[in-house]
This record gives sequence, structure tokens and C-alpha cells, in this order.
Amino acid sequence: MSLRIYAIAYLIFLYAPILLLPVFAFNDATIIAFPLSGMTTEWFAALQTNKSLHAALGNSLIIAGCTAVFSTLLGMCAARAAAMSHFPGKGGITGFVMLPLVLPEIIVAVSLLVILRQVLGLDLGNWTIIMAHVLICTPFSIAILNGAFGNLDPAMEEAALDLGETRWSAFRLVTLPLVMPGIISSMLIAFTISLDEFIIAFFLTGSNPTLPVYIWGLLRFPAQLPVVMALGTILVGLSIILLTIAEVFRRRGLARSGGKDTGGFL
Amino acid sequence: MTDLIQLRGVNKYYGDYHALRDIDLTIRAGEFFSLLGPSGCGKTTLLRVIAGFEGVSGGTVMISDKNMKDVPPNKRPTNMVFQSYAIFPHLSVAQNVAFGLRTRKDIDKANHKALVEEALNMVGLSGFGGRAAHALSGGQRQRVALARALILKPKVLLLDEPLSALDKKMREHMQVELIRLQRHVGITFILVTHDQEEALVMSDRIAVMFAGEIGQMDDPETLYRRPKSRRVAEFIGKMNFLPGQVQTVGDTLDLTIAGFGAAQITPDQMPEGARTGDVSVGIRPETLAILFDGETARRHECPGTVDEVVYYGDMTYYDVRVKDVPQPLTIAMKNLIGRPVLDVGETCRIAWDDRALVLF
Repeated sequence: MSLRIYAIAYLIFLYAPILLLPVFAFNDATIIAFPLSGMTTEWFAALQTNKSLHAALGNSLIIAGCTAVFSTLLGMCAARAAAMSHFPGKGGITGFVMLPLVLPEIIVAVSLLVILRQVLGLDLGNWTIIMAHVLICTPFSIAILNGAFGNLDPAMEEAALDLGETRWSAFRLVTLPLVMPGIISSMLIAFTISLDEFIIAFFLTGSNPTLPVYIWGLLRFPAQLPVVMALGTILVGLSIILLTIAEVFRRRGLARSGGKDTGGFL
Repeated sequence: MTDLIQLRGVNKYYGDYHALRDIDLTIRAGEFFSLLGPSGCGKTTLLRVIAGFEGVSGGTVMISDKNMKDVPPNKRPTNMVFQSYAIFPHLSVAQNVAFGLRTRKDIDKANHKALVEEALNMVGLSGFGGRAAHALSGGQRQRVALARALILKPKVLLLDEPLSALDKKMREHMQVELIRLQRHVGITFILVTHDQEEALVMSDRIAVMFAGEIGQMDDPETLYRRPKSRRVAEFIGKMNFLPGQVQTVGDTLDLTIAGFGAAQITPDQMPEGARTGDVSVGIRPETLAILFDGETARRHECPGTVDEVVYYGDMTYYDVRVKDVPQPLTIAMKNLIGRPVLDVGETCRIAWDDRALVLF
């Protein structure tokens, strides 16, 4: 019984603030406070006409899309190597690759800024954020794809080879379709992480902010707060949809390769 | 029969681990050949060397007089049935069976459908083409794996423990079916198994492997009746070992066996390089017999005491103590009509025959 109370309290603690987002997004007042003063869609309408918001959203989508593709490609290479071959120091290397997962983002952000600006003298822009986001998303991709490749019977690819296919066509015709759910899942997770990542984007953003950085900028103008709430509501909704799709694909992949569910991110 | 596969001095190292040691092997066209041995003996490695999944550290592999060095698995005239069957779960049964036809430019595409149907028919799965592969039972998966390999008409079909995942009834059924299939298609089958009974039932010839070496290579009957070493004898079937001493080696070989007394062995039974001195005498449980009332031994008999009785229904296995023999002898008796089952502690007479003796 006490465990149930604890669980409910925990869930309220976690999700109550998020639940307030849609409440105030539809509230007809510029001040964020109770009591509520009526229903409006004004703030959502304001989103549609905001040019700099659209530019920030466009940046974020480009960055998230590129991050999803690159981190998944890198993750595939790492997961396939970990699952299908043996080489000295494999355990150490796979552990090291996963390290960015536990590094504080502020450290990553500062060190990347120093390297990119001071050492390499590069201009900041979308590409620098993409590089940094690939760095932090790749461990997540590897974790998901490790499951997909690890559950795959190595004999599958060998069987295709045995039946006359080359290494590449065996991979394309057999391995790729079998790990595709993992690939989609990995891309969705990386996309989501990149889309709402703030600290690194804040440090590395050039003249064009990403969406989270833009939202942070809005907070300085109290009148804009309800608009931020409306935007936040849409983002929360999108994140939930993307993560759910990712989890569905991950489970489907497990069912297809006949593996055991060792737990995902949901 | 012509020689199809020739292995000469094949060695394989994994780091410091010597997985295959100087393997010399000739497999003839149309033969049902088995690689038999305990797990870790290198039999699967040897199969994978023939398939091309593993390179060799030394020696040559020839198939149809062509050196297979640097020939990848997809260019070899071999096909494999994997232990896990490796049926592609995202394809249908028909797509699985047709998989290998894609790269075969010599087979007209218009014939693919008929070939698939023929292959499925051959393994008793006609009408299953439209099924999803992941919905099949273990036995059906194995048939699909067979059809998928045989449709390409390879010179050699390699089978890696194909029956180990099936239950006992199904396994015995598939043994007979595999033999029939092999005779029907006339393709050389190379079977890897750790099950000595399976190897004896199915093979024309068997290579018994231990620790990366071939211990003996013979037809099943020779292997069973004339094992060349004690470990081959111990691995295949059951065998009793008694200490003995060879007195003379001439036209015949005279020896005395502990507990049994004098015995004489004819030239065809003599091991290579037989000489006087201590030997180990092997005798199979079914070549010994317990004598019941009124029965007499054709050659020799000696007294014993029943130490253990294991009743199998069709057979009873007795462990019998004989004076001066260090370990109880296992004796296999058919439970014929009117023949009693003895109790532990009863005394009995044992019949033995010098024609059944094997010296090590």
C-alpha cells in the first residue's frame, strides 16, 4: 500500500508541472497564475505568425534530422562490430563509446566551444551543433541498436552469404530488414533528444538560435510567456508521439528477431 | 566413387588455440559423411572451413580438384543447413527457398516458381510456400532450410547438427528422411553431430574427432566393431575394459584376461603392431551374455554376481562383478519370452567369446 502511495506521489511530482503547460496555454491571461480566466486559442494563433520562431523551428528540425541520421549511422557501425566480431579490447572500447551518456552536458558544451572556436577557429552555426548533438546522441543510438544487432542470429548473414550473396548484398537483404525497427527507433530517439537539447545548443549556436534557445530568449519578455506555454504544449505532445513510435518499433524488432526484451527507454 | 573433397594437412589456429590439427580427409562424391565428436572437438570448425566461413592457418582444401583458397562461401559449390536453421523471418517460406536463385544467372527466372514448388515438395512441405517463415515449427523450419539449400543443387550439402533442436521422436523420423533424401538427390552430405547413434544410423563413413584431430575414419560397422583406440571405443557405444596380458604373437595371438582366463585371437582381429605384454581388452555389453537354466556357452563361461540391474523394457542392462576384474562388467540382455530378470546379489554364469574381443 505504501509503495502505491509512493508511486502516485512520484508520478505527480514528475508530471504535474508538465500538465500545467496546456492549462496555461489555453488560459486567457498574460499572467501565469490561478485562478484561470477563460479559454482561448489566441496564443496558438500567435505562434503561426511569428517569423523568428519559424526560423528557429526550421533550424531545430534540420539539426535534429541530421543528428538522427548521423548518430544512427555511427551507432549501426558500433553495434554491428560489437555484435558480430571479436577484437582485442572490445569491452573497453564499447564502454568508452558509451561514455558521453554520463558526461555532464555543460562540460561537453564548454569543451566543444573551446575546441571549435579557440583551437580550430571555426565559425559557429548549425553544423557545429549537429556535430555536438551527434556526440551526445550516438550512445543512445548504440544502446538501442546493440539490442537489435545483438538479438540477430549471426547465422542469418552467413546463410545469405552461403546462398550466393556478397557481404554487402547479404547485409542489405537480410540484416538491414531485420534491424530496421531498431534503426527507426534510434533515429526517433536521437531526433527527440536533439530537438529539445538546450545547453549545448546555447553554447554553440551562431546567429540563428535553435528552438529551445529561442524559447529561452522569449522568457525575458513576460508578455510572451503564454506563447511559450503554447509552444511547449505542442513540443510535449510531439515528444510523446515520437517516443511512443520509437518504442513500438523497438518491440516489433524484438518480436521479429525472436529476442528477449531487456528493457528499452520506455 | 570419385573423390570430391580433399583436405590435406589442414590446420586452424584461433590465437594460441589449435582448433584443427593436420586434418587429412577425402570425401567421395555421393557419400553421406559424418563428422562425429564431443563438443569442442573442432567438427563444426572443420565444416565451416569446407563452407568457406573460416580460413585455414595451413594446408589445402580442394573441392572438385579446385583449390578453395581465397574462394568465398558464395562462390563455393557448397550449401549449408545451419544449426539454428537461419530461416529469414521477414520472408515467406517460398521467398526463403527462392533466396539463393537470385544470384544464379544460369537459371531462367521463369522457372523459379516451379523449382521452389519442386523443392518444397521434396521436403514434404508442398503448399506451404505462402506461409510466414516465423510461424513455422522446428521441424518445418528444418525442412525449409533443406529446401533452400537443395534448390541450388550444390555438389556438397553441409549439415551442422541439424537434428539437435528436435525432440526424440521427430529426430528419429528426420534421420530416416534425411537418408532417403540423400539417396534421392545423390548429393554428397556432410553431417556434423555429437550423437554417435545418429552418425551410425545415417552415415556411409564417419570421422571421429577429438581435440582437433581425426581419431578414426571408417564405415559405421568397422568403427563400432573394430575401434582403433580406447577413446573411440568409449565414445561410440558402451564398452567394458579388462586388463589382459599377451603371451605370444604369431599366426594367432594368445592372451590371458583377468577373471576370464585364456583367449585366442585370429589374425583379422589383431591390432596393428601387436606385441606381447600388458593390453587393455575391450568387449561390448551385447557380446557378453548371462546364461540361464540349461543354456551353455558356445566358447567360454565364467561365474559372476549381479551388482546392478537397469530395466529398459526391451533390454535389461546388468552390471556383474567377476572375480579378479577391477570394474563390474556391463552386460546387455534382450528380454525374451520366459527369460527372468535377475535381482541384485544373485549369482550367474557369463558367456563370452574371443571373437568379440578388441585389443588396445
